[in-house]
Amino acid sequence: MKKEISALMDGELFEDEAENLFDQIKRDPATHKDWEIYHLIGDVLRQPEHIHCDLSEKVRERMQGEPTVLAPRGRAVKQRARAVALSAAASLAAVGVVAWMSLQVSPEAASQMAMQQPALRPVSAQIQPKSNDYLMAHQEFSPSIDMNGGASYIRTVSYSTDEK
Amino acid sequence: MADREVDQQLVERVQRGDKHAFDLLVSKYQRKLGRLISRFVRDSAEAEDVTQDAFIKAYRALPGFRGESAFYTWLYRIGINTAKNHLLANKRRVPTSTLFDADEAESFEDGGLLHEVNTPENELMSKQVVDVVQTSLQQLPEDLRSALTLREIEGLSYEEIASVMNCPIGTVRSRIFRAREAVAENLRPLLETSKGNRW
Repeated sequence: MKKEISALMDGELFEDEAENLFDQIKRDPATHKDWEIYHLIGDVLRQPEHIHCDLSEKVRERMQGEPTVLAPRGRAVKQRARAVALSAAASLAAVGVVAWMSLQVSPEAASQMAMQQPALRPVSAQIQPKSNDYLMAHQEFSPSIDMNGGASYIRTVSYSTDEK
Repeated sequence: MADREVDQQLVERVQRGDKHAFDLLVSKYQRKLGRLISRFVRDSAEAEDVTQDAFIKAYRALPGFRGESAFYTWLYRIGINTAKNHLLANKRRVPTSTLFDADEAESFEDGGLLHEVNTPENELMSKQVVDVVQTSLQQLPEDLRSALTLREIEGLSYEEIASVMNCPIGTVRSRIFRAREAVAENLRPLLETSKGNRW
């Protein structure tokens, strides 16, 4: 707890951590005392010639007669809501930019992709007469009637003179 | 979260009805505000009263604080106005050499011009507190002493201290805490024995 107070004094805690710590300081007088002593040490180190007794007790006594102050919550809530809205808008914008960039294909990139593809080598196949008989005999098994996906079957019936 | 944001968080708690949060602000700024006010009001007992008045005025005005300036800048203006009004009410002249502007508030530390009229008891206690803190600091290992000095006197951030001391930020955080706690250990017995005025 003391370590957190030390960090809080130096502005090194996150907001939610600080909120929790303030709650704990409120509940625990010993922790409150640590807050006071650590600040006293800082003041002594900075201005040793001007240290006076603790006024907080006297101020606290006088404040007992004071009504509790309440500020309209609108401002703080609005500020937080504005921060949330801004961060949400920033996130959406970031997602949009990334999506747009991924969909966008520049002409240079397209030509590079085209160049990377291996050139197709035309093969001229001369179908021999005996192959025609074979193809005619197996015509009923050919998917060429229904052309859906037919391209993937074309090679299965192709014939090349290079391969023997 | 910067120091100003810590203050703003405390202010918002006060604005939501948490009086205790104002206690924390008083503990934090009482000596700084007291030094400022004692530039106007030389008598220490009077200056203490005016400092208390300034805090009460600040508490009452806090619902209207919109966070456009730092809390201390705002408190500083209230302190000066309270001190001036106190002098005018007592038909005393407001010193012309102490006309400050708001920009000075953030960096105000100067107390060298002061000649406080303190009670012998307070004078002695002040001296003892300062002695214990300074002696404790000298007795600290070099790395702890440097870390605390760089933070409290030079006002460096943990990141800057880590760079100067060539160590991780976590180490800086630990060193500063250990240094504070070592000094506080020596200070607590003295503060507990003080009667009347709390320290």
